[in-house]
Amino acid sequence: MAKAAVTKKKRMKNYNNAGYFFVLPFVIVFLIFSIYPVFRTLYLSFTNFKGFGTPEPVGLQNYARVLTDKFFWRALWNTVRIWGVNIVLQLGLAFLLTIVFSDIKYKMRGLGIFRAIYFLPNLIAATSVSFLFKTLLDWRYGTFNQVLNAIYQFFGISKEPIDWLGSGNYAGYVIAVISAWMWFGNSFIMLMAGVQGISKDYFEAAAIDGAGRWTVFGKITLPLLRPILLYVAITSLIGGLQMFDLPFLMADKASAAYNSVQTVVMYLYKFGFETGTTQVGYASAIAYVLFLIILAVSLIQMKLFNRKGD
Amino acid sequence: MNWKKAVSVLLISAMTLSMAACGNSGTNTGATSGGGNDSAVDSTEGGSAAASGEKLVVWTLSNDLIDFGERFQEQTGVQVETVVIEPANYPTKVQTALLGGETEPDIIVGEPKMLEDFYDAGFFEDLNQAPYNAQDYADQIVDYVWEVGQDSEGIQRAISYQITPAGIYYRRDIAKEVFGTDDPDEIGQLFKDYPTILQTAQTLKDAGYRIFSSDAEMNVFSGDSAWVVDGVLNVDQARYDYMDLCVDLYQGDLTAYASQWSTPWYQAMAGEVPILTADIQSSVDDSVNVWDATEFAEATEGMEKTTVFAFGLPAWGVLTMRDNVGETSGLWGVCAGPAYGFDGGTYIGISSQSERKDVAWEFVKFCTLNEDTADWWIEFSQGDTVSLKSALEKHKDDENQIYGGQKLYEFWLEQAEGIDTSKVTRYDQAIGDAWGNAISAVKTGEKTKEEAVNEFYDVIESTYPDITVNRE
Repeated sequence: MAKAAVTKKKRMKNYNNAGYFFVLPFVIVFLIFSIYPVFRTLYLSFTNFKGFGTPEPVGLQNYARVLTDKFFWRALWNTVRIWGVNIVLQLGLAFLLTIVFSDIKYKMRGLGIFRAIYFLPNLIAATSVSFLFKTLLDWRYGTFNQVLNAIYQFFGISKEPIDWLGSGNYAGYVIAVISAWMWFGNSFIMLMAGVQGISKDYFEAAAIDGAGRWTVFGKITLPLLRPILLYVAITSLIGGLQMFDLPFLMADKASAAYNSVQTVVMYLYKFGFETGTTQVGYASAIAYVLFLIILAVSLIQMKLFNRKGD
Repeated sequence: MNWKKAVSVLLISAMTLSMAACGNSGTNTGATSGGGNDSAVDSTEGGSAAASGEKLVVWTLSNDLIDFGERFQEQTGVQVETVVIEPANYPTKVQTALLGGETEPDIIVGEPKMLEDFYDAGFFEDLNQAPYNAQDYADQIVDYVWEVGQDSEGIQRAISYQITPAGIYYRRDIAKEVFGTDDPDEIGQLFKDYPTILQTAQTLKDAGYRIFSSDAEMNVFSGDSAWVVDGVLNVDQARYDYMDLCVDLYQGDLTAYASQWSTPWYQAMAGEVPILTADIQSSVDDSVNVWDATEFAEATEGMEKTTVFAFGLPAWGVLTMRDNVGETSGLWGVCAGPAYGFDGGTYIGISSQSERKDVAWEFVKFCTLNEDTADWWIEFSQGDTVSLKSALEKHKDDENQIYGGQKLYEFWLEQAEGIDTSKVTRYDQAIGDAWGNAISAVKTGEKTKEEAVNEFYDVIESTYPDITVNRE
C-alpha cells in the first residue's frame, strides 16, 4: 500500500515538472526573439555601430544627439499630431456606437453583424489599405476628387482639386482619418465588451429610478468602463507612437508632404535600414528614447485615470 | 474524462506530425538540390573544369545577371541561381546574410554609391590575391570602372561589365530645323555650360519645342567635386549653378514639366506632348482642370503641343530609349553634356564568405573579362555599353540605327575617359536627395534659396554628425 502511494506521489511530481517542458518552446522563442533584441538594442545604443564592423562604445553620445536633433522632435510632433486626430475620431466613433448599441431602450438587433462589419477594416493589411487609399485619393485621377468635382460641377462651382497626400497641410490628417477608420471597430468591440460586463441590474435600477439616457451613461456606463477605456487609450497610444506602416507607404519621399508625415519610427527606420544613412547605434538610441517617452506617457495616463477613480 | 484524453492525444499527435513534416521538408529540399546537382553534372560531363556539379548563388540588383547566369549555366553546366533584389533593400539583405555568417550568396554586386560601405564591411573578397590575381587584368577594363571596383587601399574588390558615362540624347530632326545642324560636336556646344543651355532652351521654346521633358536632366552632370571632402560637406559652385539652372528652367516654362521616370516623361521620347506650364504643374492655377482626364484632354487640345528635344542619361539610357522611342527611332543622336558624369553600373564581386570562390571567380571573369560574353551582351541587350576595352574596340564602328547610324561605342569610350571617380562617396544618395528637395522647394516658391539651403545644411548635420558643415 505504502509503496503504491509513493509511486503515485512520484508520478504526480513528474507530471508537475512536465509543465516546464511544455512551456519551454515558448520560453526559448521568447528569449531569442524578444528578450535578446531588447538588450542587444540597449547595448548598441551606447555604441557607434554602423550595421557592420565592430561596435565601439561611445557612452551617451547617441542619446545626447537624439535630444538635440530637431528632426527627431519634428518627427515626434508629427506622430503626436497624427495620433491625436486619430484617437479623437477613433474613440469618438467607437463611443457613439457603444452608446447606441448598449442602450437598453433602443434594443438594437444584429450586434454581431455590425461588430463584424466595423471590425473588417482592421483585417485588411496596412499595405492594401495604403494602396487602396492612394488610388482613391490620387490628385488627378482619384475617385475621391472625381466625386468632389462632380458635386462642384452640380453646383456650378469650379475648384482646383486638393492633392490630399502630396500637400503638407493635408497629408497628416488624411492619414489620421484612415488610421481611425482602420481601428474604430477594434475600440468599439473592446468598449462593447466592457459594457456587456456591467451588470444589467444597474441599468434596470437606474431605469426604475427614472434616470435619463445621459445620466445612465455618465453615472453608470462611463465610470464602470474606466478600466477598459484606460486599456484602449494606452494600447492606442503605444501603437500610435509607433506609427509606421501607413505614413511610410502613403507618403512620397520626394514630395513636399514628407516632412510633415515622417513619424518617429520612420525616422528610426532611416537610420536603422536605409542605404547610405545606416547608423544602427543611433537608431537604437532613438528606439530607447521613444520607449522612455511611451513609458512616461503611459504612467501619466494611468495616474490620471486612477485619480478619477478615487 | 476519456473524451478529454482523446482530444489531447489527438493534439499531441498533430503537433508531432507537423514537426515531423517540417523535418521532412528540410530533408526533401536537400534531396532536391542534390538531384539538381546530379543533373548539372550530367549535362557537363567532359565540359569545363569549373563544372564539378556545382551551384552558384547570385544576388543582384537588376535583371541583367539573370541572362548572364543562364548563359554561364549553358556553357559550364554550373547551376546558377540568380536572385534579383530591389536596390532599396539590397544592402540590408546582403548585410543580414553576411553578418549572419551565411556562405550564400556566392556572388554579390553593388552600385558605386553602395560599394564603399561594402568594402569597409569586408563583404567582397580581395581579388588581387592568388588565385584570382585581378591586377593582371587591369588594362583590359575601362580605367574608371576598374578604379570604382577598388577599395580605399587600392585592392580590387569588384568589376563591372558595363560603363555608364552620361550623354545628351537629342532629336536630330529638330536640331537640323532649329540650329541648322545635327552634328553631335556642334550640338554638344549648345550644352557646354548652364548659361548656354538656358539660351538653347529659349531658342527651342521660341521655335515651339521644349529643351527637356523634366528640369532634372542635367543632374547626372552636376557637381565638380565630391559631396564630402575630408569629412567636410562640400557644396561647390557647380551645385548652386545646377540649382539655379533647375529653377530657371522650371520658372521660365522651358521644360515639358514631367517628372523624371514618370509616364509623361517616357511619352515625350516617342513624340508630341501637351505644353504644360509651371502654374498648372503646381496646381495653383485653376484655368485648366488637370485631373479630369476628359477635361484635361480638351483643355490641352486647345493648347499647343510640343516635342521634347533632349534627355540627359547615362549609357544605359540606350536601353531606356530602345524601349520608348517608338516612331522616332532613327531620329536621335547623342552628344556630350556640360561636364563628364556617370551614374550607376552593376559591380560584381565574390562574397568573402562564399565556399565556392573558384566557380564564383569564373563567373566574374565570364561576365566582365570574356570577349565572347561581351559580344553576346552587346547583341543581346541591343546596345548596352560593355567595359571590356577589346570589345569596345571591336565594336567601335558599330552603327546604332535608333541614332541614325551614330557610332556610339566610340563616343561612350571618349566620355568614360573623362570621368573622375573621386567624386563618388557613400553619402551621395542621401545628400543628393536632400539637395533635390532643396531645389524643389526653391523652384516651386515654397522656400527662398537661403531657407532651402539652410534646411539642407540642417538635414545633413542631423543625418551625418561626423560630417563638418561650414555654413556660408
